[in-house]
Amino acid sequence: MKSFARVFALAAAALFAWPLHAQSPHYGGELVFPVPSEPPSYDGHREETFGLIHPIAPFYNTLLRVDPNDKSGTKPYPSLAESWTESKDGKTYTFRIRKGVKFHDGSEMTSKDIKASYDKIIFPPAGVGSSRKGQYADVESVEAPDPGTVVFKLKHPSGSFIASLLSPYNFIYKADILAKDPHWYETHIMGTGPFVFVEHVKGSHVLGKKNPNYWDQGKPYLDGFRAVFMRDSAAQVAAVRGERAQIQFRGFTPANRDDLVKALGNKITVDESPWDCILLVAINHKKKPFDDPRVRRALTLALDRWEASKALSRIAIVKEVAGVQVPGTPFATPPDELAKLAGYWHDAEKSRAEAKRLLKEAGVPDGFSFTFMNRGVPMPYEPLGVWLIDQWRKVGLNVTQKVIEPAAYFGALRRGEHDVAMDFQCGYIVEPDLDMYKFTSSSRNPANYSFYEDPVVDKLYDQQSQATNPEERKKIVREFEKRVLDEQAHYLMTLQWHRIIPHSSRLHGWTITPSHYLNNTLDTVWLDP
Amino acid sequence: MAASPHTVEQLNREAIPRARWLQAVLHFVVNRPLGAVGAVLVLLTATLALTANFVAPYDPLSTDYGAMLSPPDAHHWLGTDSFGRDVLSRIIYGSRTAMTVGLGASLLGASIGSLIGVVSAYFGGRVDLLLQRVLDVFFAFPVIVLALAVVAILGTGAGNVILAIATPMVPRCARVVRAAALSVREMPYVDAARASGFGHRRIILRHMLPNVMAPILIMTTAFLGEAILLEASLSFLGLGVQEPTAAWGLMLRGAAVEFAETAPWMAIFPGLAISLAVFGFNLFGDSLRDALDPRLRTQ
Amino acid sequence: MAFYILKRLLAMIPTLLGVATLIFLLLRVIPGDVVEARYLTQGSQFQSQDLMNQERHKLGLDKPLWRQFTGWMSGLARFDFGLSMWTSAPITDEIKLRFALSLQLAIMASIIASCLAIPLGILAAMKQDTWVDYSVRVFTIAGLATPSFWLGTLMILAMLIFFKWVPPMTFTPLWVSPKENLALLLWPALAVGYRYCAVGTRMMRSTMLEVLREDYIRTARAKGLWLKLILTRHALKNAILPVLTVISMEFAFLLGGLVVTEQVFNLNGLGMLFVEAISHRDYTLTQALVMLVASAFLVVNFMVDIAYAVLDPRIRYR
Repeated sequence: MKSFARVFALAAAALFAWPLHAQSPHYGGELVFPVPSEPPSYDGHREETFGLIHPIAPFYNTLLRVDPNDKSGTKPYPSLAESWTESKDGKTYTFRIRKGVKFHDGSEMTSKDIKASYDKIIFPPAGVGSSRKGQYADVESVEAPDPGTVVFKLKHPSGSFIASLLSPYNFIYKADILAKDPHWYETHIMGTGPFVFVEHVKGSHVLGKKNPNYWDQGKPYLDGFRAVFMRDSAAQVAAVRGERAQIQFRGFTPANRDDLVKALGNKITVDESPWDCILLVAINHKKKPFDDPRVRRALTLALDRWEASKALSRIAIVKEVAGVQVPGTPFATPPDELAKLAGYWHDAEKSRAEAKRLLKEAGVPDGFSFTFMNRGVPMPYEPLGVWLIDQWRKVGLNVTQKVIEPAAYFGALRRGEHDVAMDFQCGYIVEPDLDMYKFTSSSRNPANYSFYEDPVVDKLYDQQSQATNPEERKKIVREFEKRVLDEQAHYLMTLQWHRIIPHSSRLHGWTITPSHYLNNTLDTVWLDP
Repeated sequence: MAASPHTVEQLNREAIPRARWLQAVLHFVVNRPLGAVGAVLVLLTATLALTANFVAPYDPLSTDYGAMLSPPDAHHWLGTDSFGRDVLSRIIYGSRTAMTVGLGASLLGASIGSLIGVVSAYFGGRVDLLLQRVLDVFFAFPVIVLALAVVAILGTGAGNVILAIATPMVPRCARVVRAAALSVREMPYVDAARASGFGHRRIILRHMLPNVMAPILIMTTAFLGEAILLEASLSFLGLGVQEPTAAWGLMLRGAAVEFAETAPWMAIFPGLAISLAVFGFNLFGDSLRDALDPRLRTQ
Repeated sequence: MAFYILKRLLAMIPTLLGVATLIFLLLRVIPGDVVEARYLTQGSQFQSQDLMNQERHKLGLDKPLWRQFTGWMSGLARFDFGLSMWTSAPITDEIKLRFALSLQLAIMASIIASCLAIPLGILAAMKQDTWVDYSVRVFTIAGLATPSFWLGTLMILAMLIFFKWVPPMTFTPLWVSPKENLALLLWPALAVGYRYCAVGTRMMRSTMLEVLREDYIRTARAKGLWLKLILTRHALKNAILPVLTVISMEFAFLLGGLVVTEQVFNLNGLGMLFVEAISHRDYTLTQALVMLVASAFLVVNFMVDIAYAVLDPRIRYR
């Protein structure tokens, strides 16, 4: 426990010390960071992995970005758009585009390029992959009436539209190149970002150097960066510990953090944040006896989440007990109220007794066995899998684990081969629309791996999405949560992920957020000499 | 390369009196002390696997969040893991997984391999040529891809791991057994059996197979240690046996590496268990090979 | 002799064809494909079936199997492996650096294994059935029995804790910086070389024993160890050949099979690439890799055969 206290003391000290010696940024130096996976292609519109964001995002800009100093990672901030206005009916958004922005090939960036990029994302030509097309189903058109203006027209007003433009994947590409070959950006890199692409040695690293003509005067501070691909987490930790790398932007485990702090003392600074990722348990409504809400409720009642929060946060990258929103964010249910939901009670014995009672009532025999399908990813799928199975064992369920390799996993989920399975939800921004879509009926949401139809849930989802008053929206979100997690127990939540970034104390100008997709443009980052 | 028929016959005489067996064991211990050490380790592993429920001090699955990562002490001789499970008990139960997978894979690989080898040698000609070409392909094929593919197609779990490990063993065993069987084919008793009109199946199973038992036995023991090690490697990579089942390779995965500095007992003891067991099997197999057939050692 | 070489070369073709067919079929039997691996990753709730079908069409995965097969075969005949399905980059680019790493590691490990096996084997034979012999066997078999992932983890940890030393993060080719290169590869090469010396040592010991049994050496038995060594020197040449053979047979395995070692020592070699390529269902890359490793195996085999034919007149022109 001592080392924990130390870590927190250090983290807190770092937090308070920050404004005290807010030194002026130092220019120069190369930032070195390991990246746990290599980008599949360079096209951000097509991929959905941090393995692309971390090494490639510094070469690009987006229309808007998340405020690089905002720890909640939710505040919109200008980037290539200087400012924007929303029409009264909420259906038209007009963006003023920054002037004097140059692509790395020297050509001028205008609204034409933004339109072309968003057209590729929202209305991709046949054969061009766009991972986020569905997110913009509400967009009717993107227009560029003059070089300095871009207009988005929506079919209906949407409270989450601006949030959807904050996506770090929506790189702005050059229109002329896209017109010639929409696949060009899959294998090439050319943007407006603070760094210029130098090389990508496959199986080794990506190298970027400072863009001397960057539009944001005085930035970036670094001379360049080197993103090194390292699969093994022990090796990543060793690299930071040996001071060969300054940071790893995805996150380390609690054990890694403690080792690093013990070995490096004040040369290491620890940033922590709840993480907008969570492992859920999908319960297949099409399989008996899981069509019975009593059985599903028993599964969630069997879990002692509060004990787990204490125990598992020592060994895995999870911590907060959570509902459908990241704890501590505006629409999240406060802990006291959360504790009223089934499976969130503080009295674990009572909860387990109720679980046993429900199982008995539903005619599920003691020692009933089923298979729990899990994904072959070590952290945190494995420890959470062990935990779940152990918890279910305590109410007399005999569960065996079947592990599927990562690539085949969601394909298997989609085919519905499982009884009960681990599922995953992760966002770049905390926003009820994006985070809760997962729980809508399977007829409108292909990623519903519990396979249910629940019109009540769908109606609540639409209501909260259109609610303009935040208090009212909060109330509906709460109702939605109770329906999904307690009354029907369609899905059950494990613990919220917890992001731990121990980094060299030489590194400044970077803010942790609940998402490992955010704040990777590196324009504000600088290193002590 | 071929097995000498004399040693083969000695091995298969059912009528060897009990006393001679005892004598043979004694002879083995005196002449091959290393082999004897190996045999003891093998016996120990096997006994632990068989008696795990009686020997293990704790239920290998029972977690204790109050005793997570506790160092070795009077309660937990080898400490506990990241879920507060007793490391010693998990090692003891892990021997069960190791023995099941090891024995299963080597028996399966050796029997399919020997059958192919004997059939190939017995029929000769085109059948032999075709089988040899197919075996060549398997030889040239990267073992890791074969194992990964089997796991990807069938999924993880003990049964599939046995298959994944046995597959690459088949061609190796087939090649050795074929070489031995080629010389057996020329033996007068096989000719005689053929002349008296016995069916192919009977000749292969009754006359050929028993006479190449020595190389088969040697291959099987040699595979055993390797299979245990492969199982551990696959489990370590997350492709083998799955939690919460106790398995040595699995115990070395994840938390064991992460806590290697603060809770080294989690990494050290299961690693030692694997090393000792495999060491035992290898020593034993090695000496058995010397004892059974001095000529085979140069193959 | 030329005829023999030609015959052996031609014999490789059907084997390679068989390997090509096997990997092609195997990959198609494994559930899932590269499009699923790419788009069905996280929550992916916004993923449409449409998009996935378009991608499949682009990659030619919607063609009938025989068309895909003939396409791959004709590429193979022209030594054109095409593009990786996962990254759309030329396969040669994907493999280049990893191959350099794996090749060097395999060579280093083989050299270390030979350097251990030959003297240890000779020593064990000279002192047959004494504690020296036993220690050699225990030492080599222990290497074979220790899981490499375990040994590697302990090695790295020990260096980190006791010497505060961390290996370089990336692979630098030997000709760029020998120091960086060896700092990364020496430890895994030692671990792997030690592991694979057992078989060679055993072989060396037994061939050496046979040599020692020959009459003229027996007569020298009384005259001391060194004399014996000198006397056997010429015989050693033939005794070493089978040792080199068993070690070189492992070579192809070392080239693509060191998955666990690569993982533990953080090496981006062919072994990890195999795992990645299969997990991404990158058919083109996996196929190319399999052909590469299979060819390496056949070529090594071929060279061993030729070496035997040249050195040992009894085997010639089989």
